[in-house]
Amino acid sequence: MKVCLFEDEKFDLLYPLTLTRASFELRCGSMTLVERIRRFNPGIEASFFLRDYLEPVLRERLGNAVVNSLEDLGRDDVILVNGRWLPEHGRLPIEGDETVATCRGDVVYVRAKRETVRRSLSDSLQKTIENLRSELSVEEVEARMVEYPWHLVQYNHELLKEDFEAYWSKREGVKAMGEMVSVVGDKSLLHVSRGAAIHPFVVLDTSSGPIMVDDGARIYPFSRIEGPCYIGRDTWIVRGNIREETSIGPVCRVGGEVEASIIQGYSNKYHTGFLGHAYVGEWVNIGALTTNSDLKNDYSTVDVYVKGRLMDTGDLKVGSFIGDHSKFGIGCLLNTGTVVGAACVMLGGEVLPKYIPSFCWYADGRLRRGAGFRRTVEAERRVMSRRSVVMSESYVKMLEKIYQDTKEERETLIRKAELRLQQGGL
Amino acid sequence: MSVEEKVKRIIAEHFRVSVESLKDDTSLVDDLMAESIDTVELIATFEEAFNLEIPEEEAERNQTVGQVVEYIKAKLAQAGRC
Repeated sequence: MKVCLFEDEKFDLLYPLTLTRASFELRCGSMTLVERIRRFNPGIEASFFLRDYLEPVLRERLGNAVVNSLEDLGRDDVILVNGRWLPEHGRLPIEGDETVATCRGDVVYVRAKRETVRRSLSDSLQKTIENLRSELSVEEVEARMVEYPWHLVQYNHELLKEDFEAYWSKREGVKAMGEMVSVVGDKSLLHVSRGAAIHPFVVLDTSSGPIMVDDGARIYPFSRIEGPCYIGRDTWIVRGNIREETSIGPVCRVGGEVEASIIQGYSNKYHTGFLGHAYVGEWVNIGALTTNSDLKNDYSTVDVYVKGRLMDTGDLKVGSFIGDHSKFGIGCLLNTGTVVGAACVMLGGEVLPKYIPSFCWYADGRLRRGAGFRRTVEAERRVMSRRSVVMSESYVKMLEKIYQDTKEERETLIRKAELRLQQGGL
Repeated sequence: MSVEEKVKRIIAEHFRVSVESLKDDTSLVDDLMAESIDTVELIATFEEAFNLEIPEEEAERNQTVGQVVEYIKAKLAQAGRC
């Protein structure tokens, strides 16, 4: 049996987070779906289907992965897994009869034998799944499907606890903390990898859930970590107040107050300032005192821009969604439910607009075209090299595709914003 | 549209002034209050509009609207497109 992770047509509801990665590469809990399936099902062969422009970058990230190969699909019995699904405890329903499982219209997974897949093969995965859907029995199941970015934040709490139970609690970690480290709550809910360092005057509070500290992570003095929480590989917490339901991916530098948020990885939020109910991509830098709101003053539900329209999340607590490579200067203020695209630059001092298109700058109350593609790539190359990561040509091509694809939206919104300014509006 | 008209229109739009108000000796810094962020953005806009590569150290030598027009014309000529 092979597992095949696929993106369905709803990937763009998860923008800006899925501009630069597939839905199954998003972090929720202590890992991404790809990592979860590989770790929880060792030895299982996995293949992937995603948008063409992301294919070379995924190959680089995953090594010799089989990507977008319909030919490969018919070689074995398979379970096709929707990349937006968060299976309970990471368990895949590998055993059982052939079936198509759906949840409110979305295909969650398809379990099929090789012969059935071969009969259903078409010229695209989507058509192949449609063929399987008409051939096999369809069953409606309850499933945690991530449809919008805020769902990742909402599910993070459950996933952190499940990951601890299924994976981290079974791993050998540091047995005893240093004398000046305080553990509040159940010590068995703490996993500190052997290569991690917890400095004196750190409080680890497991009263509300487990804390997982991955290899190479460093928690510096005067930090407080509340579970459930995951601190990623080689990430530093510098005088951080890391509140519950937070996942911080690898190689981040995080200080200040962070609550119920997810940071994909390789991002910095070194200084004082609040980040709550947010999802931050990779290579983001958040300047000192930059703060996001995650609760409106009238305690009403938060609206977020999705595909150009404001959408009611139905949730009272929603922070910001920030695309890869975006940078915030000191003192930026982000309104509740703000969306910032990829590779944006924001200068602070005022409340930012609720939506900033990719590769835009916001400064002096104006939405701007910014430094253009070439200079942005040059700058980001420098950013990545500081963490010993080389920006590959495939990666540059991916960014260029995003730059071109978002150009029309960028120009339209800049024009509209200029018009509003000329008319004296906000 | 001539190169001069196109350059002036980009500058006018960027600083939100009328094209007519821009003279050859209009200073980007003294008259239009250009800051470093404006320079970066204008260079990127000219690069895209004229399909040119403009080194920052060259661009920074242009202090007036007229100098920018002449500079762009020269770069286009260099590229064999003027």
